[in-house]
Amino acid sequence: MPRYRGLPWRRLPLRARVIGAFTLGAAVAALVLVIITYGLSRQSMLRQREESSERQFFANARQVQSSLRAEDPDFTQLLESLPSLSGSRSIIRTGDETWTSLSLTPNDLPSELVIAVVEARDARSLRYRLDDQPVLAFGLQLRPGGASTLDEVAYFELVPLVEVENTLESLALILLVGGALTVLVGVGIGFWASGGLLRPLTEISYAATSIAQGRFDTRLEEVRDPDLAALVNSFNEMAAAMENRITRDARFASDVSHELRSPLMTLRASIDVMEHRREELSDRTKQALDLLNDEVARFEHLVQDLLDLSRSDSGPMENDLVNIEELVKATLELTENDASLEVIGTARGALVMGDKRRLAQVLDNLLRNAQKYGGGVTRITVAPNGGKIEIAVEDSGPGVAPSERSLVFERFTRGAAARKRGAGDGAGLGLALVDEHARRHGGSARVEGKSDGEPGARFVITLPRAGRR
Amino acid sequence: MSIRILTIEDDQRIRTAVRFALEDEGWSVLEAETGEQALEYFNSTIPDVVLVDIGLPGIDGFEVCRALRRSSDVPIIMVTARDGTSDVVAGLEAGADDYVTKPIAPKELSARIRALLRRVRSEDKAAAPRSIGDLDIIPDEGVVRKSGDEIHLTKTEFHLLCELSDHLGKVLSREHLLEQVWGYDYFGDGRLVDVHVRRLRTKIETDPARPRHVVTVRGMGYKLQP
Repeated sequence: MPRYRGLPWRRLPLRARVIGAFTLGAAVAALVLVIITYGLSRQSMLRQREESSERQFFANARQVQSSLRAEDPDFTQLLESLPSLSGSRSIIRTGDETWTSLSLTPNDLPSELVIAVVEARDARSLRYRLDDQPVLAFGLQLRPGGASTLDEVAYFELVPLVEVENTLESLALILLVGGALTVLVGVGIGFWASGGLLRPLTEISYAATSIAQGRFDTRLEEVRDPDLAALVNSFNEMAAAMENRITRDARFASDVSHELRSPLMTLRASIDVMEHRREELSDRTKQALDLLNDEVARFEHLVQDLLDLSRSDSGPMENDLVNIEELVKATLELTENDASLEVIGTARGALVMGDKRRLAQVLDNLLRNAQKYGGGVTRITVAPNGGKIEIAVEDSGPGVAPSERSLVFERFTRGAAARKRGAGDGAGLGLALVDEHARRHGGSARVEGKSDGEPGARFVITLPRAGRR
Repeated sequence: MSIRILTIEDDQRIRTAVRFALEDEGWSVLEAETGEQALEYFNSTIPDVVLVDIGLPGIDGFEVCRALRRSSDVPIIMVTARDGTSDVVAGLEAGADDYVTKPIAPKELSARIRALLRRVRSEDKAAAPRSIGDLDIIPDEGVVRKSGDEIHLTKTEFHLLCELSDHLGKVLSREHLLEQVWGYDYFGDGRLVDVHVRRLRTKIETDPARPRHVVTVRGMGYKLQP
């Protein structure tokens, strides 16, 4: 059956993809928002700070300029008297001397700013880090005039930006937390939305499972949503069509088998009456009677298998807790088979939910199969396998070729070993029934080679284990 | 007097073959082609066991069962070509004691008949009368009284009640009951027990929907309590 597999991304579960998309969307939105908010805030805060600092710098510079008119300006006092906005500090440089505010040294001034100011003979500003603190430095070459003996005077002011930086850091933190929360909310919405989105799909999947388990009258509830209504309607139509067809097929098969049952009953009873008088018969008649007996037995079995197949297509199953070990023993007893049975580990006393007569039939069919084509049963094992129980029937026949292993369970197909035996032997229903019944019990059937490498087939029925009683 | 078995079956070939086979067991076999004929026959003679085919022309096997049950507790085995749940349960509800599926081997059929006959005669087995709540069971006489009034039970129902009362308060599995009451081996049909318990309840319980005496123990079986 061709199946569309899609891109690798499409192979993820649908729900994961929906949540992933929501998360990605939220993350991108949050990231963009954070970057823009941070960028704009930073820009405007810095500009504000720059502008106010610049205004003060020029005011201070004018004051320094005017002080230069004095003959011998007392720069130390001047520096102290200059107003300081949020901890700004000043430096005055003459050709050979430098005055600084408290806690500053001449070297604290970046030389590139000094050179730029001296060369440009104009105001310059520079952002740099002083003692690991962000600082905005302004510098201006002043023109001494009047009585001043100085010819080169430059005024510098260093404005700390640490507050701005702290504020920006807090802002960044808040934005990051907000962004993370947004992403989380995105995940949450994705989870919620995908749940809502997938609920119809979940319901459809339940309905489909229920149909697969044999409740063919399962239908989806009508919905108002026009998008879903189309899906629900076509699902229900499909289910109805399938139910119709299955019941029709099943009824046909059951009618046919039913019609075959009455003559079979006459045949069986008549043969028994003859068997009862076996001593009165000639040897030749006895032989003919034996032939008749065998054929009627085979016919009975065929009709029973057909009937069971038609029923397994439709009818509900009996559900009982079945002890697998007891079942296998009882079946061996019933079929007068003395094959050796090995029950391994926790398989002892293991229970399975199901219909014991059908399970017995599964086993009986496997035993018959081994008898007819595999030279007889060599070993039966019942072993645990995880939460499941495996019943294996081994024979010493030619085995089943790997290419035929899934085919032998199809209706009316027979393996190479069976074909060799001629057309008259078996109809190819026995293993089909094994497969159907195993599946109706939530299990499966398979055939493999023997684990010890010896020739022969190993038919394995896997059934889900029921809780302990 | 030999055991008389009435077979109600519209297919003449089956009727004859089954008669031959059952006569080989030493029983005498009476034949009826339709339900009407069987009921008419019943007015004059009561057989020991009745085999009734479900698919009869005229009144069907279910109706024959119900009609017979109105006047008699004769053991009835339903012979059905369909063993789907609905047919089996409907037949048992109609009053059949057991059922077999066509094509049944005569050996199996006679084993079923023998098990039924054994049940009918097991009253000989002396057992002490017992009182369970408002129920009085007297196995010797095959009588059950509820608050002093006699209740009419079929032999199978009576036997089922006796088996449960033998193990008062203990849970009996369906397998156990199938073996003890119906004489089945491992592969008996649990529905036999379920339907008969249901029928028993309608007779001995004050409120069959909420049984006080015969209690279902989910996944395990049934138990009787006072």
